Amino acid sequence: MALLEGQGLSMAFGGLLALRGVDIAVEERQVVGLLGPNGSGKTTLFNILSGLLHPTAGEIWFGGTRVTNLRPWQISRLGIGRTFQIARPFVHSTVFDNVLVGVTFRSRDHVSRGEDRRREAERLLATVGLAGKASALAHTLSLGERKRLELAMALSTRPTLLLLDELASGLSPKGREEVVRFYGQLKERGLTIFAIEHSFRVLARVADRLLVLDQGAIVADGRPEQVLGSPRVVTAYLGEEE
Amino acid sequence: MSSHTFVQALLSGILLGCFYAVMALGFSMILGVTRALNLAHGDLIILGGYLGYWLWSGSGLHPLLLVPVAGAALLPLALLCQWLFQRLPEPKELSSLMLTFGLSLLLQNFMLGLWRGEYRIIASEPLTASVRVGSLVLNQGRLIVAAAALILVAALYLGLTRTRWGRAVRATSLDREAAALLGINVDEATRTTFLLAFGLSGGAGVLFATLHYLYPAGGIEVTLLAIVLTIWAGAGRLRSVLLASILLGVIETLTLTWSGPRWRELVVALMLLGSLLARSGGLARSRSR
Repeated sequence: MALLEGQGLSMAFGGLLALRGVDIAVEERQVVGLLGPNGSGKTTLFNILSGLLHPTAGEIWFGGTRVTNLRPWQISRLGIGRTFQIARPFVHSTVFDNVLVGVTFRSRDHVSRGEDRRREAERLLATVGLAGKASALAHTLSLGERKRLELAMALSTRPTLLLLDELASGLSPKGREEVVRFYGQLKERGLTIFAIEHSFRVLARVADRLLVLDQGAIVADGRPEQVLGSPRVVTAYLGEEE
Repeated sequence: MSSHTFVQALLSGILLGCFYAVMALGFSMILGVTRALNLAHGDLIILGGYLGYWLWSGSGLHPLLLVPVAGAALLPLALLCQWLFQRLPEPKELSSLMLTFGLSLLLQNFMLGLWRGEYRIIASEPLTASVRVGSLVLNQGRLIVAAAALILVAALYLGLTRTRWGRAVRATSLDREAAALLGINVDEATRTTFLLAFGLSGGAGVLFATLHYLYPAGGIEVTLLAIVLTIWAGAGRLRSVLLASILLGVIETLTLTWSGPRWRELVVALMLLGSLLARSGGLARSRSR
């Protein structure tokens, strides 16, 4: 069984069907990329997987446990971490305190000592290159730094699966290179990653498999070189020729 | 205005501001965590005041001893309201107005039925005396109430910053979804917030009843005060609420001393409007949003 499985996932907002019976499977230690034009349902799918939305139909399993309709904090404690397209750190808190929240509230070590938690938060900040910004308030960070902070926050819950929502978007070429490096590091650490990216180039370099969503349905699934050359993917992005 | 009168008014204003802070905090906390405007907030304070009055008139105990009792008495109501709140349809910001408006009417009628419409006050002997500090004369009741209010605010501050449940409440108040994704049980944090806010309101009610007359419909003014202070300070921001309350108390008292009661409300309203126009996000606005 795959680490994450979704079967027949549908989501309706009133009369609008954002997802139409989507099936997904993410194998352990894989990097799976999720592509699709704007409004194709990518973020809705992530919201369902992280518990922020409850699907109108379908089931989700994580590590063999049914997680459909669980609350976001329950899903987080089971080991699914998540970042947002627009990073959402606690802007009035320091960078260090932002990371400390996740380290404090993950389920598996309620009894860990304060000193150990602080050391782990420092280590996570060093991992994402923000050790020098630990005492800065989060709202003073640049876009790229905010994204790195959010990655550290997601890692602070010690996830086995990371849902990364457009980590590379809005970044400079240098920033995108850094993101590619982060993907490599996370993979080396044995994490499973399900990532939305708009950049084909980034996903082609880091993903083991690509899924393409269009109008709420999966239209392609396979290795990056197969998917990126698929006529259905080209049609999804550029439309049909008259 | 002589410097002596100015200092006297300044001190009285600070004491009044501490009292205002404890009046507004419960409202601000619930708004911060749930985005719900609790229109019954003032009625909870009046209910706490009536409970304190009832216990004080029956037992003759010092009113300060009744602060935790009145606070604890409102906890079951906190659990009931949180249970109802969780079941409200979206958007909760609107549906909670209906719930709390209904609760406000219920509480007013409950208090009217139980204690009639007569004005009541905890006129305890130790609270009516004056204290002389150098050449300044301060009302002992206001001094004690301000000290009690500060102790409550400090205890709340310590709880919210030093404990696990406090961190959960603060994170939930800052961003509910982000907090949940970091493994915080936001439902538990909401329950804790309701318990703290209602407990604080019950206790604050006893302090209120030592300075002001109680009557069943008196909660409206307290709710308005809490709304104004929360908008000014920013929802769920403890230090900003305290700062805004003290500023309001000082400005009110200085205006009162300088020009009499005629201009007090106008000056306060103008000052609030001016500061909101200058800083549209409140005293603790986010510089990044």
